[in-house]
Amino acid sequence: MSAVGRLRPPPALVAIVFAVLVGGALVLVSGANPIQAYAAIVGGALAPDNLPNTLNWATPLVGMTLAAAIPLRGGMINLGGDGQMVVGGLVGATASLLLPAPGPLAATLALIAATVAGGLYAALAAWGQIRFAIPMLISSLLLSYTAVGIVSYLVRFPLRDTTTGLPQTALVPVAARLPTLVGPVNAGMLVIAAVAALVIVIDRRAVIGYELRMRGLNARFAGYGGVRLDQQALGAMFASGAIAGLVGAIVVLGGQFRFIDGALLTPAYTWSGLMAALLAGGEPVGAIAAGLFFAALQTGGFAMQRETSVPRVLTLVLQAIVILFLAMRHGLGKRSS
Amino acid sequence: MTDFLTPFLMQSAVQAITPILLASLAGVLCGRVGVFNMALEGQMLIGAFAAVVGSYFAHSAAVGVLAAIAATIAFSLILAYGATVFRGDAVVICIGMNLLASGLTAYLLRAMFDVSGTFSDPSLVGLSRIRVPVLQAIPILGWGFARQTAITWGAWVLVVIVTLLLFKTPTGLRLRGVGEEADAAETLGVDVRRYRVVTVLASGALVGLAGAQLSLGAVTVFAEDMTAGRGWIAVVAVMLGRGHPVYSAAACALFGFADAVGLRLQGQGLPNQLTDIAPYVVTLAALALSHRRARAAVSA
Amino acid sequence: MAIPELEAIGIVKRYGAVLANDHVDLSVDSGEIHAVMGENGAGKSTLMSILYGLQPPDEGRILLRGVEMRFGSALDAIAAGMGMVHQAFKLFASLTVWENIVFGAEPVRTVFTDRGKARREVAELAERHGLGVDPDAKVWALSVGVRQRVEILKALYRRARILILDEPTAVLTPQERDGLFAVMRRLAADGRTILFVTHKLNEVMAITDRVTVLRDAKVVARMKTRETTVGEIIRAMTGRNVDLQIERGAAAPGALKLEVEGLTIGSPGGRPLVDGAVFAVRAGEIVGLAGVAGNGQNELVEALVGLRRPDAGEVRIAGASVGEADVAGHRAAGLAYIPEDRASVGAALGADAADNFAMGFQRDPPLSRSGWLDPGAMAARARALIDKFGVRIASEHAPASSLSGGNLQKMVVARELSHAAPVLVAEQPTRGVDIGATEFIHGQLVAERDMGHAVLLVSAELSEILALSDRVLVMYEGRILADVPRAQASEEALGLLMAGRTAIS
Repeated sequence: MSAVGRLRPPPALVAIVFAVLVGGALVLVSGANPIQAYAAIVGGALAPDNLPNTLNWATPLVGMTLAAAIPLRGGMINLGGDGQMVVGGLVGATASLLLPAPGPLAATLALIAATVAGGLYAALAAWGQIRFAIPMLISSLLLSYTAVGIVSYLVRFPLRDTTTGLPQTALVPVAARLPTLVGPVNAGMLVIAAVAALVIVIDRRAVIGYELRMRGLNARFAGYGGVRLDQQALGAMFASGAIAGLVGAIVVLGGQFRFIDGALLTPAYTWSGLMAALLAGGEPVGAIAAGLFFAALQTGGFAMQRETSVPRVLTLVLQAIVILFLAMRHGLGKRSS
Repeated sequence: MTDFLTPFLMQSAVQAITPILLASLAGVLCGRVGVFNMALEGQMLIGAFAAVVGSYFAHSAAVGVLAAIAATIAFSLILAYGATVFRGDAVVICIGMNLLASGLTAYLLRAMFDVSGTFSDPSLVGLSRIRVPVLQAIPILGWGFARQTAITWGAWVLVVIVTLLLFKTPTGLRLRGVGEEADAAETLGVDVRRYRVVTVLASGALVGLAGAQLSLGAVTVFAEDMTAGRGWIAVVAVMLGRGHPVYSAAACALFGFADAVGLRLQGQGLPNQLTDIAPYVVTLAALALSHRRARAAVSA
Repeated sequence: MAIPELEAIGIVKRYGAVLANDHVDLSVDSGEIHAVMGENGAGKSTLMSILYGLQPPDEGRILLRGVEMRFGSALDAIAAGMGMVHQAFKLFASLTVWENIVFGAEPVRTVFTDRGKARREVAELAERHGLGVDPDAKVWALSVGVRQRVEILKALYRRARILILDEPTAVLTPQERDGLFAVMRRLAADGRTILFVTHKLNEVMAITDRVTVLRDAKVVARMKTRETTVGEIIRAMTGRNVDLQIERGAAAPGALKLEVEGLTIGSPGGRPLVDGAVFAVRAGEIVGLAGVAGNGQNELVEALVGLRRPDAGEVRIAGASVGEADVAGHRAAGLAYIPEDRASVGAALGADAADNFAMGFQRDPPLSRSGWLDPGAMAARARALIDKFGVRIASEHAPASSLSGGNLQKMVVARELSHAAPVLVAEQPTRGVDIGATEFIHGQLVAERDMGHAVLLVSAELSEILALSDRVLVMYEGRILADVPRAQASEEALGLLMAGRTAIS
């Protein structure tokens, strides 16, 4: 067998090519030019003028990717990212409104409060599994819908800013807002980048990273070896929810400067992040790469819709096709538990 | 009680339960044969969209229903083959299917009808109602069924059919065996793959009906992501009912009832955001109460 | 000369580069009980799955009563009169006995299952062959012996003329085994043919008419049971003379290292799984825990190891009570554990050897410091253990999935032994392991004993228990029925105890 014969393109690449072809067909169906559409996506994402937009979109998306990747690394799945994110967002907004503090301290405190709140809420799902044998898959999802509903109610009634007619809180004090870096990109990007680095380092070199990875490969092995599985589940879910809560607060304090009902959910960061994490099986570096790719894809999608009037939801279709292709042909996502 | 549960309320409740009931039957069948179906949401959305497309172009609700069934069965091929022949992870495939359904229907909505958000048109023909006047005289339950579509009636009949199928026929016995111990079924000559594929596709037809009821049953309209979590509630109903068609149907009825009560209380000042979450909270509580405390043994 | 009932001629089967069956010939007469023997990996299972239609041979022919057959699936084989009772039962636990038996061949009335007819036929069949079962019982509630009867009835319901029994006695008490032999003789007298796949020599000598021995995918011997000896068969199976008895000196037991008092583990609405177990293991001795699988051994071991909290009673390791501690706590108190299931519990097949060897040691120096790992130390440790225990693997970075069964077990044993813990619990340590690795592991267990550690050997293989133990405990229905010193431990005595009969005349 020649060396060339053994060279097989990496599955992810094949999946992307397949998705591009199917997407191209869809574009033709809507009467537009696929080449133009794809060119618009690439340009819209990566052209120097547009890069800040891409980075701004990437910040919450990569954040949610990390949030999904941590439990996935350990063979657990957290479907409650939306709920944890809005909990964090609302806590961040409310904390900054209620705690008068100078400049950076206000923002920092608000972010910390949001992180802790999101973490605790996610840990609740783990507790449901430990105490009541409710699978985390189900409990995290149910809790998410619950949180979204409660937060929505809070923003529309008790915490509403009654000066505007819209379901949103009051504007966050200027002191608590995250400083802008370039264009729409704010300091939140640096925070997420730091978190990403931390996750990678812990995964590779820390004892808890090793233990989580072993659990992901074989949970019974980890338990038999002395790993405290219940504590580990709580910890992993806390970390996951904490990052999700942090993302929520960053979007609120860095971009919108108030909590607007539904605004955190419309961009579907959670599901895209979950898909990116699944693509990499929870492995941080791969997940982040996938997350960045999806962010570029979606940002490009906006440009594509502006320039060619091909609906931007096409990019979500492309993402789904990639995931399905890999799930079917390469056993993507097979978890130990 | 009867002025709390008005005839109109009961009718809306029964109508609202229909898609969830059909989807939960689909979930029960898939679960019993060993395929965890979390894609009910996406399947229902595809069905709802296809129903509208069929009704629009053929000016017929019946064609819409057929289109819904056909489209959902085709969509279900992904899960049917992905989880069996291709040995993919059912959870990941289902997540992918849900997202594909959401994006694809939104895309086609714009591509085919040039609108975004919602689509409604005078030429859309909705499902007609079957009036059974005698039922109007029976309080509560009778009120619920006095004016419903054929699909709604069909849904409850299907509960009986699915129950009989699962527990009284050889096909049902084999289906349950495949789901419990595929290995054992294989050695007795039962084609595991075929049973799973056919079951997933057949249950896809059920969800297609659910979608048609959703978009053509009450108001004839398609809206992006109009399933709004109904598929997930069906998944939850299957869990609560432990994969038994009658208990899952009971769970659906419970949710529908809670929903109707919530709507009623809304009129008295209870915000709808809180009533909307009632099914999830109820399910969490039920799951917590029905599961005994996890053993002392450490579990994954 | 009668035509053989079953003939396999020149069967060849490859899995990739591995040759599992190498031109295997087999000939069995009607009414014969024919043993198919060989070590693990010799090719027995492959041959049987081909005969039962689960997979096609790459080459070769199968003849039934002189007629060539081609099996496209198990259904074809069943239709031709083949029946198979697998080693791991293929039953539906939540269904009833009759549902299990008629599954796939259900009698129907219009479109519904004819329940009455099914139950009647099952009852008649059971009566006729002396296999007592309750048609309406749910399988999950049945004992192993009864489940096996259901498996046999499944084959008989489908009019099997040739019955393949794959390691049927692995989970039976000696008395249940005798019951099975009676059934087998009755079936043979009835004109059926039985293929008895086993590695148990004494059983082959007791009941079979002829023996075919496989080694390394080939048939190496065919003999009439009456005309051969145990030694001859072993030589054929292994290619050398193997002494099953381990050379070992007398034990010199010292201080109490493992003490169990009144250990009770309940089960909801039923007899307790472990019922007031009391025993102790001292330093420098091997205590064997014998018993048919399912009498509470698994749960007892889980409690000893920390995977399960007992409902009552106390476990003391090296003198200190472990109380409510979890696995980490038990290990810290001085316990190492070789689990029964090396692939599902003892290793992470997707990880490399270095990762696998590190488990249990990751929180302490030299492998880690203040929460941070030292990959170099992990690799060095792995290399050292690989050398010391002769684990055949490409490198410490190769995945554990590349290891053969015997080498994977060696890895698990190496890791657990390197804890140098005062107490070692070894559960089925040589199950599915080839003779070479088995000898090695047995030697290691004796070495542990001689080093002054306390070893608890839990095994369903009486020969292993008898070969290694200084004392034998017998577990039955959750209780420790007896504590038998080596000198008095015979297969007969232990067999009676394992069946619940305390040895009183």
